[in-house]
Amino acid sequence: MATLDLQNISKSFGAAQVLHDISLAIDDREFVVFVGPSGCGKSTLLRIIAGLEEASDGQIVIGGQDVSAAHPVDRGISMVFQSYALYPHLSVFENIAFPLRVQKLPEPELKEKVGKAAEILQLTDKLNLKPGQLSGGQRQRVAIGRSIVRDPKVFLFDEPLSNLDAALRGDMRVELSQLHRDLNATMVYVTHDQIEAMTMADRIVVLNGGRVEQFGTPMELYHHPATKFVASFIGQPNMNLIPAVVKGTAEGLTVELDGGHVMTLPVETGAVHVGDKVEVGIRPEDVTLGADGLDISIRVLERLGGASITYGTIGAGTRFCASLPGNAPIREGENMALTIDPAACHVFDAKGDVLRRQSAPALVA
Amino acid sequence: MVEISQPVTQSHAPQKRKVASEGLFAWLLVGPAMLFIAIIVAWPLAETIRLSFMEAGLGGEEYIGLANYADLADSRKFQQTIVRTFYWMFLSVSLKLILGLIGAVLLNAAVPGRGLFRVLVMPPWVIPIAIGCIGWLWLYNGYFGVLSGAAQAIGLTDGPTEFLAHKTSAFYSAIVTDVWVGTPMVTLFFLAAMQGVSRDLYEAAWVDGAGRWYRFRRITIPQIMPVIVSMALLSAIWTFNSFEIIWILTEGGPRSATTTLIVDTYKVAIGNYKFGEGAARAVIIVILLAIFSLFYLFFLNKVNKHYGVK
Repeated sequence: MATLDLQNISKSFGAAQVLHDISLAIDDREFVVFVGPSGCGKSTLLRIIAGLEEASDGQIVIGGQDVSAAHPVDRGISMVFQSYALYPHLSVFENIAFPLRVQKLPEPELKEKVGKAAEILQLTDKLNLKPGQLSGGQRQRVAIGRSIVRDPKVFLFDEPLSNLDAALRGDMRVELSQLHRDLNATMVYVTHDQIEAMTMADRIVVLNGGRVEQFGTPMELYHHPATKFVASFIGQPNMNLIPAVVKGTAEGLTVELDGGHVMTLPVETGAVHVGDKVEVGIRPEDVTLGADGLDISIRVLERLGGASITYGTIGAGTRFCASLPGNAPIREGENMALTIDPAACHVFDAKGDVLRRQSAPALVA
Repeated sequence: MVEISQPVTQSHAPQKRKVASEGLFAWLLVGPAMLFIAIIVAWPLAETIRLSFMEAGLGGEEYIGLANYADLADSRKFQQTIVRTFYWMFLSVSLKLILGLIGAVLLNAAVPGRGLFRVLVMPPWVIPIAIGCIGWLWLYNGYFGVLSGAAQAIGLTDGPTEFLAHKTSAFYSAIVTDVWVGTPMVTLFFLAAMQGVSRDLYEAAWVDGAGRWYRFRRITIPQIMPVIVSMALLSAIWTFNSFEIIWILTEGGPRSATTTLIVDTYKVAIGNYKFGEGAARAVIIVILLAIFSLFYLFFLNKVNKHYGVK
């Protein structure tokens, strides 16, 4: 296994620049997830690492060796594709053995490697079947098997679960995390699903418009989002962003939220001045029902059993979502008051950058 | 009992009527097509089979049983025609498939001007066969043809060469023209099949270190194999039945060197007014093609299963 360093990677397709000066240092045996919306450049970045695309600028260093100009096979990587890329005319055995056949590995060694991979992925009894006879999850495992037998330094996954249904995706998430632990491998994983990113990653790279918005652990991203984009992208349901006006900067930041509610938030005020417009970020799960506080009219109520997700509006129609206990005594069409912990709030300036919080929940590993 | 059975009968009656009317409607839909097929296929086929048991000419018909078939079985010339037809078919189809595959690979390559080449490959197929063949007649002409002229210019021959006047050269010249006409369609079918192969398969193999030839052998060929099989067998049937090219170029000559079964049938039935003998030949062609078709369906099914095509 090996470290992976991306140094000043840029990529343009004609006049369109899709990646802007990206530098990342991925540790040995780390599970890093590239996450971002469609078109953010995450798959392009992965393909550049794989050698399927050439970077317009920058270096790729794997295990201390510059592989920027190397053929994919010489980079020590293996890749799992979104479509699985299984050969429909070959059996499961031959699909897994494909890279070894290319290497002209002796038959006994080949059989041993394929057998071992099949055992890890619980495919031993499926080796004679064709991909068309397998379920989506099994196909995905075959694709992973083909990666494993190459014994790569870095595993690359390009949205491998996006073709699976929700239930299977959940199971495969657990299996992939387990696999990462078993193989103790460096893995880079691309997804647009922030739940996959949060649940599987050691560290997450949030990409937006071809730029890295933030690179950190899931909990860092959740509790200390560097930008409004990261704050709204990470977390389910999405963070509420409420327009506000700065009323004071002494001892924290005093703001008046849309709707007139005034709060003093424990953040470093930085270059923000009285009268500036900011946005206050409040996670739906950071509010509680209270006698007074933010006044919300409930439009839609989703009872999920363990939680009640309420969608409503505050002030001049700003949308607000709250995640309350499953048995919360509320009804659609009614108004409710929510208590907000100022320490749980995030503040973003006009450019979308966060004002550093003076205190935040301790991060868990 | 009456109380129970009556409602049941009543409730089933409209359903039965509905099924019956749906059946009638289905027959109304397929009826015209079946009538059309009966008129243009079934009736002529039945008439041909009947005629094959007759000695039939312009003067009338006389039942002679299997005599026409017995004559064909004894005819060395007819046996030679069958062998020649299969040789013609085998050579022509093989060349069409090989050239079609090469053409498709070239047209599928990411080269500048690919679109233009794709258009340029079409004319042999688009130009009416008769017009194309007249062009080839000129090319093969000993005195005015480009081929003969080029052969003389580079010193290969001393004088004019009439390609269509000699038995061997006429046969292979006809094959070249047949291949010229038939290859573009094979190329386009192969090209379409190649473009349908997922790019991910190639990228996955590329990442695994598979070279160009390995990818072609282990991915492209297996992935387009159902189309190769389809084209091989359909092309075989079309080449077997190829008539215009031979007729325009050589009329089956010289000395029957280019006479295939279909040309022979035409010459006997239409040229010599021996309708009975011609019909017997036509029936044999139908039987051979039917065997081919069955083989095609069986083989295609097996290939599709093997290559995971649903």
